[in-house]
Amino acid sequence: MSSIVLEARDVRYRYPRGREAITGISFHVRRGEKIALVGPNGAGKSTLLQMFNGMIRPDSGIMLFDNEEIRYDTRSLRKVRRGVGFLLQNPDRQIIAPTVYQDVAFGPVNLGFDETAVKEAVAVALRQVGLEGFERRPPHQLSGGEKKRVAIAGVLAMDPDVLVFDEPTTGLDPSGSEDLMELLDELNHDGKTIIISTHDVELAYPWADRVILLADGRIIREDVPDVAFGNPVYVRMAHLSVPTLLELSVELEKRGFTIPERKPRSVLDMVHIIEQHTQGSCCHPQPGTITVCNVDEGETGTLASWVKARKGLAVGAMGTRAKQCAATESIPLEFTYGVIDKCILRALRGQDSLILTTGRMVDRVAVRVDAYGKESGNQVTVIFLDPARRSL
Amino acid sequence: MFEELLEDVAQKNGLREVNTTVKLAAGLGAIILCLLASSYLAPLFIALVLSAAILLLARVDIKTYAELFLVPLWFAFLSAIVIVLISGGEHVYWSWDPLPFLALAITRESINTGFFIFCRVIGGMSALFFIALSTPMTDLFAVMRRCHVPDFVIDLAMIIYRTIFILMDQVRQIYHAQVMRLGYSTWRESITTFAAMCGAAFIASWDEGDDLIRAMDARCYDGKFALLGECRPAGFRSVATLCLFLVAGAAAVYASQGMTLL
Repeated sequence: MSSIVLEARDVRYRYPRGREAITGISFHVRRGEKIALVGPNGAGKSTLLQMFNGMIRPDSGIMLFDNEEIRYDTRSLRKVRRGVGFLLQNPDRQIIAPTVYQDVAFGPVNLGFDETAVKEAVAVALRQVGLEGFERRPPHQLSGGEKKRVAIAGVLAMDPDVLVFDEPTTGLDPSGSEDLMELLDELNHDGKTIIISTHDVELAYPWADRVILLADGRIIREDVPDVAFGNPVYVRMAHLSVPTLLELSVELEKRGFTIPERKPRSVLDMVHIIEQHTQGSCCHPQPGTITVCNVDEGETGTLASWVKARKGLAVGAMGTRAKQCAATESIPLEFTYGVIDKCILRALRGQDSLILTTGRMVDRVAVRVDAYGKESGNQVTVIFLDPARRSL
Repeated sequence: MFEELLEDVAQKNGLREVNTTVKLAAGLGAIILCLLASSYLAPLFIALVLSAAILLLARVDIKTYAELFLVPLWFAFLSAIVIVLISGGEHVYWSWDPLPFLALAITRESINTGFFIFCRVIGGMSALFFIALSTPMTDLFAVMRRCHVPDFVIDLAMIIYRTIFILMDQVRQIYHAQVMRLGYSTWRESITTFAAMCGAAFIASWDEGDDLIRAMDARCYDGKFALLGECRPAGFRSVATLCLFLVAGAAAVYASQGMTLL
């Protein structure tokens, strides 16, 4: 899993008649990683990202994809662009065709898929981003978030290994951004390597495996998020701010709280730190349970009554299809992002919750809850809802 | 300045899910019937049926439809009046010769001709509006391919279609920015402001073109464009309605042969 998929070796780039935008950058990206490229406006983020799929050719230095040097003839570029999907900041500039179907099909058709393969690829991509039934809609009638999803589907339809997103959350409302970050997590879970550029530290801090701080065309620091964002000097150099959670944990540490080696990356981690300090007095003696339901299994329409029969149950949905399912069964959702953490928090208060999700993410809930249990010593029970027993 | 577009109405109309060919056949058939008709009754009948279809089946807002219809209607009305005045006839009701080469007269024949042409225009217009309001442009691309329009023409049409909306959006933003800063306050001012908007829109569209090429390149453009084929079969009900309409129209054309207003 640790094979290198993208690499830059001392790349430099100067815009025609302009200043040097990239001044000697070397780094690598491993397969399956989530990388955040963080820096102020004009740091060279977009320029660097466009080198990944050969849109910009560095003046010197080499880029490698799959351990092969990127060459700039048409054939090689096609191969690279198929492997590295690129998402522009403004989806309007990415969407070419007059209908959603045609736009998503653009890549597959040009890759020479036959008609059934194109249809299949489009259907899968639209399903992944939760836009089934939008095939005939013209893009100018969609909302900003929907356009973004169409653009993502267009990239996904080519089935790239690496996804590069330039400022994916600009122009989206907070809940839209959280949705998008969840989608990125989902895609990463499917084995895609994801690189995003952003200047939103709060978003990058909990999400990324590795952060690359960029300023004035150079890499200032490349490390795990808590180290990269933890040093005020680097953060100031990159014109950023320290993420609130990190700042809080530093303050708590100064006040005698024990902060674990791995800095808190979520509210759940933070609560755990505070709890330890108060010797668990704010934890409910009888923790609640988390029920997981795979919405792909079992009949539709049975779930609503199951939920209604249980008073005080909070419902969260993970993934686009689970959210659609909740909407069709008109189940009110309490949580739509960061669902697992929020349900664990609820369980610690002694309350029960239900997580609607699909496919592989079912196991993710158990894994996450287990990992939390081992780390904190608080056991929370996860129950898998048997589709046959839903009517009970 | 920026009202709801015909295309937006078409995208939401009630006949959107009906097979495109059936809708086109109804519209084009109606136009041909209007041309074949020799009396004012058949075009009026066709206009009535198609307008009812637009309002009741396609569920287009009656106000929108009336506004759309009124613009060409005025034009047709003025043309009909000119025809009534200058085409002569035997039964003269009123005449006036203001100039040696200009004789104006209202005759029974000229009224008949004028009214007939006016009705024909109404019939043809309702047929065109029927197509425009029930069939969005996006559905026509697939029909164009089936009619063997060259691929590059269709591809160009599709890219133009997409960019029109992006450009319009930009023009709208520039226009609003100008209005907010009192750009169109005086007549002189509005001329310079409008010129500035044209310049800005030109540069924006130039940039847009650059970006379009890059976006297409990034997605491995190889000269191919996907088309969304027709996946809505012509249902029995829609075909039956179409046949009924065409037969009734043809019957009206035949039955009303030679009938005149006066």
